[in-house]
Amino acid sequence: MKKTLLATLMLSMFAASAYADDSIKIAISGPFSGGSAPMGTSMRDGAKLAIAEINAAGGIKIGAKKMKLEAVERDDEGKNERGALVAQELASMDGLSGVIGTVNTGIALSGDKHLQEKGITKIITPAAGSASMTQWSKAGVKDLSIFRFAAHDGIQAAMVVDQAIKSKFTKVAILFDATNYGVSGRDDLIDQIKKQGNKLEVVATEKFNIGDKDMTSQLLRAKAGGAQAILIWGIGPELAAVANGLAKNGMKIPMIGGWTLSMSNFIDNAGKNGDGALMPQTFIEEAITPKAQSFIEGYHKAYNVTRIPSPVSAAQGYDAVYIFAAAVKQAQSADTTKIKDALEDLKEPVSGVIATWKHPFSKWNPANVETHEAFRSSDTVMGMVSDGHVVFANQADRERLKKHAAK
Amino acid sequence: MNMQIIAQMVVSGALMGSVYALIAYGFQLTYATSKSINFGQGELVMLSAFFSLTLLNIGVPYWLMVPGGLLFGAALGLLVERAGVRLALQQKSEGWILLTIILGLLGFSSAENIWGRDDRPFPTPISSDALHVFGINITPLEISVAIGVFAIMGLVELFKRKTLLGKAFEAVSADRDAAELMGISATRTIMVSYGLSGMVAAMAGILISPITTVGPTMASALILKAFAVAVVAGLDSGFGVVLIGIVLGALESLTSFYVGSGWREAPGLVLLILALAVRPNGVFGKATIRKV
Repeated sequence: MKKTLLATLMLSMFAASAYADDSIKIAISGPFSGGSAPMGTSMRDGAKLAIAEINAAGGIKIGAKKMKLEAVERDDEGKNERGALVAQELASMDGLSGVIGTVNTGIALSGDKHLQEKGITKIITPAAGSASMTQWSKAGVKDLSIFRFAAHDGIQAAMVVDQAIKSKFTKVAILFDATNYGVSGRDDLIDQIKKQGNKLEVVATEKFNIGDKDMTSQLLRAKAGGAQAILIWGIGPELAAVANGLAKNGMKIPMIGGWTLSMSNFIDNAGKNGDGALMPQTFIEEAITPKAQSFIEGYHKAYNVTRIPSPVSAAQGYDAVYIFAAAVKQAQSADTTKIKDALEDLKEPVSGVIATWKHPFSKWNPANVETHEAFRSSDTVMGMVSDGHVVFANQADRERLKKHAAK
Repeated sequence: MNMQIIAQMVVSGALMGSVYALIAYGFQLTYATSKSINFGQGELVMLSAFFSLTLLNIGVPYWLMVPGGLLFGAALGLLVERAGVRLALQQKSEGWILLTIILGLLGFSSAENIWGRDDRPFPTPISSDALHVFGINITPLEISVAIGVFAIMGLVELFKRKTLLGKAFEAVSADRDAAELMGISATRTIMVSYGLSGMVAAMAGILISPITTVGPTMASALILKAFAVAVVAGLDSGFGVVLIGIVLGALESLTSFYVGSGWREAPGLVLLILALAVRPNGVFGKATIRKV
């Protein structure tokens, strides 16, 4: 028994090292458990779908050899301290070509410095908090190996405020959770309200903690101030508690907030109380293009589900892998620094499920974080929760995206 | 409008407070007989909630799930007593502190491995559509929590006063040595108190799950509040626990409304410090005379 075990172990070690030679190692890290898990697992599964497709087509051709992609998965549990440990481990991993992932802004803040120190190329997706990129511009970093592939909160907050103004609201309440994501979302909202001409009066700015279930006091303060809408930044379970609290207190006002309002644990726990919630989305689970159709069907089939837990995360994870693969191909190397240089100047457009990405990133400039941000507001649409699904809030967006893809 | 808001805040807060009280009551039960408490009480709440959810998922009807969950809780309580408390008490050591914490951690990891780390909704036949009573919004679900809390506490108190085993319970609480001289087995009584405490924890789990969802960390915030309630009220008084629990819950709501939602946790901590400074035995606690 012992001998066979030893033999198997040795064999597997041998196999692993043999495998590593002609494979490109990408780490996928994110919360695969806990309150942010729908985003983490969808991102991971979307990314793995893309990896499987690329490998099925033979891999990436580097020189004369075709190299396959190999995924290394790490669960950061959505906790900052755990995320820092994962980043440290990845930073010192042998032969790692890059990292894709991170859902929680706090983890980008606690962990990415370890990757940046070693110059490991990372594409952040789907963490949206502004701080995960602005931390580098504030520090004046000259050469950055961290990229982001998500509609950052600056874009999202602008859309949320715009939506509130368009709906002719004048008084709003801002609710946010006490995490890095929530707090930076609140700052973005206040900032955007100023930028868009102070047309909204903030009658209440209320905080809640992860795990809070009773939102009565926060909502009553909003009610007492006469709020016509709740602008909110948080994650699934607490967003659901807010939706349920609104219903309980007989407040029929809409929730408009970050893209997290599309998380399955919001939609499931809020039930019918979640209907009508509005949020920016980069991808809606509706087969409006052939590419989207094959992606959605592929995902449903591969993971045996009828609804993607977080379609945005899945689509972004999927496209991020294709962009990364394009950079590997252009660099003709598995070396992380060469891949970074290629990412900053992608020559060929990459056809993804969200859009066709033409030159998504450019050479890092600390004065302009958009150099390492792939998304602009034109890549983003308003989604709305309706009967357990996220749909297009405006038909115009649906048509626009259709045309966009046809081009 | 203003009075209405205050009333609404007090009612919502008091409802959460009654849950704190119920968990604190679980501490109080075991402390009365054995002067020990289960530091893994929160895990008992969580494990029983998961077990009850599993019962529901395999098709057990709601009314049958409740006694099933309670029995499971009681069994867990007995297990904690046997594995973590009995030996330590026999040796008159404080080992039960560490042992109950360890058993709690064990329960936590087991739950993570058996049921996963996600928060899951807990289906309930009780409606969560708001009713309007005197301008206050309250859901039948919340009313059911209050009724459940008082029902189980009432039953336990009735048991303590009306049955022989219950009287033994009271006797051991009053004076363990004297009770043993009267032929009451203290060991057995302590066992009963841990069983009851586990049952109370299970009840708390079943009652709050539809509101909080079920997950491994569901009770971690509650247990701290419950502990504060138990310390402030004093570990001798069941009635005091209820009163302090409700007051703390209402105070939290009012603070977060009038001072700001960031200050929600403050009143509990201030009360805790005040109680420890002014009345270390608790507001309703009996002063102990330490014989030197």
